[in-house]
Amino acid sequence: MGNFLALVQNENMKIYRRWRTWIMLALIVLLPILFGIIIAVNDGAFGSNMGAWSAASNLSFIYFLVSIFSVVIAADIVASEFTWGTIKLLLIRPWTRSKVLLSKLLAVLLFAIAISVLFTAVTAAISLILFPASPPVNASGPSTFDYFIKMLFYKFIDVLVITVFSFMISAVFRASGLAIGLSMFLLFASGILSAILSPAKYAWAKYLLFNNMDLSQYAMRESAGIAANADGMSLGFSVTVLVVYVAAFLIIAWMVFTRRDVAA
Amino acid sequence: MYMSQEPVVRLSNVTKKIGSKTIIDRLTLDIPAGQVYGFLGPNGSGKTTTIRMMVGLMSITEGDIVICGSSVKTDFEKAIAHIGAIVENPEMYKFLTGYQNMVHYARMSGVGKERIDEAVALVGLEKRIHDKVKTYSLGMRQRLGVAQAILQRPKLLILDEPTNGLDPQGIRELRDYLRVLAREEGTTVFVSSHLLSEMELMCDTVAIIQSGKLIDVRSLKAEDLEDQYAETGFEVSEPQRALELAPAGRLEEGRLIVTVNREQIADLNSRLVAAGIKVYGIQVLTRSLEDQFLEMTGGGQIG
Ligand SMILES: Nc1ncnc2c1ncn2[C@@H]1O[C@H](COP(=O)(O)OP(=O)(O)OP(=O)(O)O)[C@@H](O)[C@H]1O
Ligand SMILES: [Mg+2]
Repeated sequence: MGNFLALVQNENMKIYRRWRTWIMLALIVLLPILFGIIIAVNDGAFGSNMGAWSAASNLSFIYFLVSIFSVVIAADIVASEFTWGTIKLLLIRPWTRSKVLLSKLLAVLLFAIAISVLFTAVTAAISLILFPASPPVNASGPSTFDYFIKMLFYKFIDVLVITVFSFMISAVFRASGLAIGLSMFLLFASGILSAILSPAKYAWAKYLLFNNMDLSQYAMRESAGIAANADGMSLGFSVTVLVVYVAAFLIIAWMVFTRRDVAA
Repeated sequence: MYMSQEPVVRLSNVTKKIGSKTIIDRLTLDIPAGQVYGFLGPNGSGKTTTIRMMVGLMSITEGDIVICGSSVKTDFEKAIAHIGAIVENPEMYKFLTGYQNMVHYARMSGVGKERIDEAVALVGLEKRIHDKVKTYSLGMRQRLGVAQAILQRPKLLILDEPTNGLDPQGIRELRDYLRVLAREEGTTVFVSSHLLSEMELMCDTVAIIQSGKLIDVRSLKAEDLEDQYAETGFEVSEPQRALELAPAGRLEEGRLIVTVNREQIADLNSRLVAAGIKVYGIQVLTRSLEDQFLEMTGGGQIG
């Protein structure tokens, strides 16, 4: 019997031995550079002399790609084993289904972390290179390094939630298309859904997942000086709700995956 | 506990229900150690379903399966550690090379590189092992499938229709190394098929299943077969005189038909020749096992 890390190593091999993964990583490197140059050119034309961290905060909109790529990897990691039929050979090793699923979850989370770190590093580097003008020493708000990192950290939490959601759908329905579709819907429709089912209109709506995603709203509110508790929601509240949802997703994924027959 | 060895696999009253449909019905089977054990049944009879339960891919509705003393139900990791298997087609990671696929499974069983090379050599795939699996033919994937199944030197090797897609050469080689595994390494081989002719060539014993029920278990060992009596036809120059030499026989289309065993065939032949009767041909007429199998399983109906 081997050790558990060998299972994670296997999952990593299956992620990183595919072209697709490297195309994703290339995009994560290239797009901040490309948009950095575009912003720099425009900025130069208006002569506004943007600071590096303002530029980096502007570039962080590209972080939605990290969500998409993490969702895709999570959607595939269980479902593709069923599509390929390899699940039959994977589950007949001296490891319980629980451990196999855990190794897959860890590989997905490692990917999400790796791609987030990569994005943050590239964005910070390109911003420092293209916008060397040093920001005012006592700067506050969106022009600071703190703000940039905080924004990305909050977005990273969202990525984790949506990735676990995608992972759950993948493990339960064994279909990556469905997992990607539902996760994308949740990701992109959450703005519209929040408007329709807003916590301001319905008291219970504040427990809905999409009303608690996008933690960066709290960072923005904070920097804009708006009281965080306007609708009875705070960072702490949202984090608690997210933790409960993630736990529920994982429990469902485990219950279904470890019990259902494999007839693929 | 009885005198002889514990069976490697013990299926007791195994039942599988999906919805209201009973797919496997109280299957009880002991597979003795060191045998090549055939599992024969027409399409849809439940061979693959039984194998899926043996390797834990499907839950067992009722009954239990015990592998080398460990229950698949309650002690899965221990039970499965004794098993190497191919379930239906050997699907592999196509974007990986054959070797990377082997490394993948080797890591899971804690097996070293030398053993990978050994297994690959045994199935004769050395030349292509570093190519991507997507460039493999069906037969090559089948070989890789066998290689991953024997990787951790399992006590029990389960192969679901392993000759699927193999050329005659490949089938011959498969038979040969299954025999090597069984005789020399003491591996018990459980192999399913819907082709009896195939089973006759490689198995010591065959269990016949139909519609999820075990209908017969019979030995195919040569020494057991030798003793069997069979209807045999003698094509001779003077049938009437021949009949006098073998009064228990009868004449049919100018041939002498007698029910004899192997020794008696040789015996009667020499008596005929000694009496000056020419023997042009001798044929064993008894319905082949194939015919019996078809008869037992009721011909073409599925499930
Ligand atoms: N997931 C499932 N749901 C419902 N019925 C199933 C399922 N899987 C198999 N069956 C049924 O169980 C029966 C046995 O199927 P199984 O695949 O075990 O047959 P088999 O003996 O392997 O056949 P073949 O020689 O064609 O491979 C069939 O009637 C099949 O329709
Ligand atoms: Mg089958």
